Amino acid sequence: MNNMKINKIYYTAFLFVSLLFFNGCEDHQLKPPRESGSEPSRQTGESGLPVDREFARELARELGREFARELSRQLNEGNSSIQLDSVFSANSVQIDRDPGSLVDMDGRPHPLLAHCSEDVLEFYQSHADCFAIKSLQEIPAGLNWKDGLGEEEFSSPDAKRGGTWNVFMRDFPRTLRTIGPDANGAFRSYLSDYNALSLVMSHPNSDGYYPGLASSWAVADDRKTVYFRLDPDARYSDGKAVRSSDFFFLFYYMRSKHIQAPWYNDFFGKDKFLKVTLFDSHTFSITYYKAKPDVVERVSLRPVPEHFYGELDGEYLNKYQWLPEPTTGPYVATPENIDKGKSVTLVRQNDWWADQKKFYRYRFNPDKIKVSVVRDYNKAFEIFLKGEIDMFGLAKTEFWYEKLTDKNLLVKNGYLSKVTFFNQTPPPSYALRINSQKAPLDNQNIRIGFHHAMNFKLVLEKIFRGDYVRMNTVADGYGARSHPTLQARTFSVEKAVEHFAKAGYLKRGPDGILVNKKGERLSVEIVTGYKHFEDVLVVLKEEAKKAGLEIKLKILESTAAWKTAGEKNHQVIFSAFNSFVELFPRYWEPFHSDNAYQQDGDTKYRKDGRLKDNLVIKTSTNNFTQTAVREIDHLINQYREEESLERITELSHQLSEMIHEHGVWVPAWKKPWLRIGHWNWIKFPQDWGPKETRDYEEFQVFWIDQSEKKTILKAKLAGEVLSDQPTVRIYDKYQSN
Amino acid sequence: MKTMIKLNPLTTKKLRRFRSIKRGYWSFIFLVLLYSLSLLGELFVNKRALIVSYQGEFFFPTYGEQISGKFFGFDYEYETNYRDLQKKFEKENSNDWLLMPIVPFGPYEMDYAKESSTGFSPPSFSSGHFCGTDKTERDVFARLLYGFRIAMTFSLGYLLLTYLIAICAGSIMGYFGGRTDMLGLRLVEIWANVPFLYMVIILVSVMPSWWGTGWQVSSLLLIMVLFSWTGMTYYIRAAVYKEKARDYVSAAKVIGASSARIIFRHLLPNVISTLVTFAPFTIAAAVSSITALDFLGYGLPPPTPSWGELLKQGVNNLRIAPWIVISSVSILVLTLTLVTFVGEAVREAFDPKKFSTYE
Repeated sequence: MNNMKINKIYYTAFLFVSLLFFNGCEDHQLKPPRESGSEPSRQTGESGLPVDREFARELARELGREFARELSRQLNEGNSSIQLDSVFSANSVQIDRDPGSLVDMDGRPHPLLAHCSEDVLEFYQSHADCFAIKSLQEIPAGLNWKDGLGEEEFSSPDAKRGGTWNVFMRDFPRTLRTIGPDANGAFRSYLSDYNALSLVMSHPNSDGYYPGLASSWAVADDRKTVYFRLDPDARYSDGKAVRSSDFFFLFYYMRSKHIQAPWYNDFFGKDKFLKVTLFDSHTFSITYYKAKPDVVERVSLRPVPEHFYGELDGEYLNKYQWLPEPTTGPYVATPENIDKGKSVTLVRQNDWWADQKKFYRYRFNPDKIKVSVVRDYNKAFEIFLKGEIDMFGLAKTEFWYEKLTDKNLLVKNGYLSKVTFFNQTPPPSYALRINSQKAPLDNQNIRIGFHHAMNFKLVLEKIFRGDYVRMNTVADGYGARSHPTLQARTFSVEKAVEHFAKAGYLKRGPDGILVNKKGERLSVEIVTGYKHFEDVLVVLKEEAKKAGLEIKLKILESTAAWKTAGEKNHQVIFSAFNSFVELFPRYWEPFHSDNAYQQDGDTKYRKDGRLKDNLVIKTSTNNFTQTAVREIDHLINQYREEESLERITELSHQLSEMIHEHGVWVPAWKKPWLRIGHWNWIKFPQDWGPKETRDYEEFQVFWIDQSEKKTILKAKLAGEVLSDQPTVRIYDKYQSN
Repeated sequence: MKTMIKLNPLTTKKLRRFRSIKRGYWSFIFLVLLYSLSLLGELFVNKRALIVSYQGEFFFPTYGEQISGKFFGFDYEYETNYRDLQKKFEKENSNDWLLMPIVPFGPYEMDYAKESSTGFSPPSFSSGHFCGTDKTERDVFARLLYGFRIAMTFSLGYLLLTYLIAICAGSIMGYFGGRTDMLGLRLVEIWANVPFLYMVIILVSVMPSWWGTGWQVSSLLLIMVLFSWTGMTYYIRAAVYKEKARDYVSAAKVIGASSARIIFRHLLPNVISTLVTFAPFTIAAAVSSITALDFLGYGLPPPTPSWGELLKQGVNNLRIAPWIVISSVSILVLTLTLVTFVGEAVREAFDPKKFSTYE
């Protein structure tokens, strides 16, 4: 009896495996689908019979299912002598072990997941600790639900719908996917970042939130779990409603190997997003790994339309290369509006679900966004002057002062405006990062002297004509989290010389460069990948001579420069990272010793806090300063663990001070504004834009006055004057200092 | 060898012929003069004074150690700004005086003296910037002059080194012929197919940082030579092949002269005319390639004064600062034209149709 059963099991297993094998035979490159559950199958070639393969696969699955059911039934009957667990655990068919509530005893999925494909269900089941379904009664009572409707609107009721907004991109997008290889291009923001809505949106004028896809949300007592109620109106552009299960699918999608996006695989990993729980088709919760003060923002995700993808396989990249996914945002890209190599036109949905909702009713005004390819920046500028592009960034000094002067007829006659808008947002971190491990910069006095030898005042005054301001700390622009009083060290020959003297560089050589007793010259090399900032570095170099410091410049291709810094081969690198609008700055990546040396935590240090010898450098991290100080490490650890905003603020200030003291980071400059030129048929709200605007395209609060467009174009032809003043405007409501 | 050339009546004839071609001859004189002047550039274009008479003592700062500002009564320790010192002397009305060069600016110096100067000051005689200034207020004339010096020195070095290698390789192939020739030619062909620009880009980016500018320039020179000596070998090889069949070579062999002696003593003076006719064009090519490399950003390390760098700045700011392009293009065209004139004249003077040894 027992033998027969085992035989039956083996027979079924043999059939299963041979089917898989047969299935893979038609193309030698193909691997049997999902044998281990993790192997990414290769993209299929053009050969093969897709229908048959699909059929064989379905058959194999059905048999597998049947087999699993049978097996579990028999095991339940008490034949525990059969130890076949290990054979099937890899197949992730763990139906009986922990049925949870995702699937019932017969393997039928929960009604909320009834639409899921086999593969997706298997994924949920194999990660049963991450995905759960509970009843509405299980939502804790007494949650403080918020809907954000008390926040102020940041758009203008004067806005009018209509018109085509003409913009340019430097290169045609290589795909219309927003995830995966080549998807991270500039065009992505039109599809996703500035278009699709996430659950909750952080308000750009306050610290609060306004509703996105979720109409209300509540943070649980553990301050890690956030409950969301989806707006019942929320729909994708194909008319399908947004379902809570799309947030299950989101993780299936983001953790899939098929999307070939390791960054996303990691970002949406199990260690960050601990659990998603569904309560009904519109209510769910997401649990984050840490109780951060901005936890709402961290778990405010964008759904992935499960009905569109179904499941993912090796065909993913090919299939969706030019097939944009349905969006929850107002603008839709459709294949017929793509002129390959030339332009993509996004069209506004007539019946966009959020059209009349607060915070959205006066935004996203143009009917169409035409994004055309103009490969050359200067050419794009000329096209802008012709009126075929509506807006153009004028941050560069030469564009603002030389190429489009206030005397230019277009500005003088009032056809075109030059606008300076002061914003408040974390700036890109332009700084000289000193490698504190390379001689002679391993000496703190040399580093501080180096700070004082950098004449950024002259750079700001002469090269940037006083438009930029000095950055003061390692974390400027984070509101209260930025240090309120700390100032960057200013240029001072006396102070520089004094510190260099402390480090033993006492005498000036024949060329005016300081020399120490051993006869070594005080010479430091600055590496950079920014060819366009060569003039800045040249000024710094010439001025540093006054302090007896020789600077050698090495200006490389940007990838070569990043590589040098990643390998920690530089003495000083001039570089910048883009900062995100976040509640508090990041210290671990650039300043923790775990990113400087391979040895873990405090094992790097001797008892007295000095670094041990023979440490192994850790490459490819962002700790370009090779900062490894025990006290700073401990503070950063504390900072990362801390959950109260007050304490985080305190620690952030303390860290800023300590890093300043350590002297490895010479802050350069920040732009406190946005500067753009736009044709006057583009209208803006009274304040021009919200406080945290980083890019003129970001919040889309402007509108197009079509009748004015005609007037202006006519006036331009006739040379008619429309304004007695040049249209140059400054919006300084949010100017901080 | 020198005496041989002097003694060779053919060579003197050729030189006389060269002198009679006026355009080439005067171009040559002018170029030599210009280059010599640029070698003494510090005396004409410099931020340091030529002579300072201070408290009864004379100082000649041009070539010496830098003199601290404190020495002349300023409150800073770094190098004296002699233009300020001049003003100070005038103001104090003392007996002290100093003499500045004609253009009182250095090639690296940023003249931010005026409050309003933010780069790109137009040419003016009153400010002393005859050709205007660049983006960081450096004197364009000074940078052109020192750029000329570097470009010409670079080209001469390039010429010498490429010819040295080409002569050795070419004469070995031509003289020994047979398998040596075949193998050598194949190697040269392979080597000539290494993409030059990529190699330069790669090698420049891995140059060790602790090298000084001098070393970096020399290594750039070496890299360029390394990948461009091949072109010349073909000509030398052919010329040596031709000459080697002559009786005097057989005669030398019979006497028992070594191969090296025959190549360098007997053959070389006879093939040198081929080399000489190519020389000016090689110089022109070297000047253009170093300029092009600088223009692309793979040349001399900044802020070394260079024409390519100036041209790039000029092109990027054509509307704002036309004087940069105008002056750098003019001097580039002038130099290359002069070199070409010299080249033409040399070619004509050395034309074997006129002075054939077959007669």
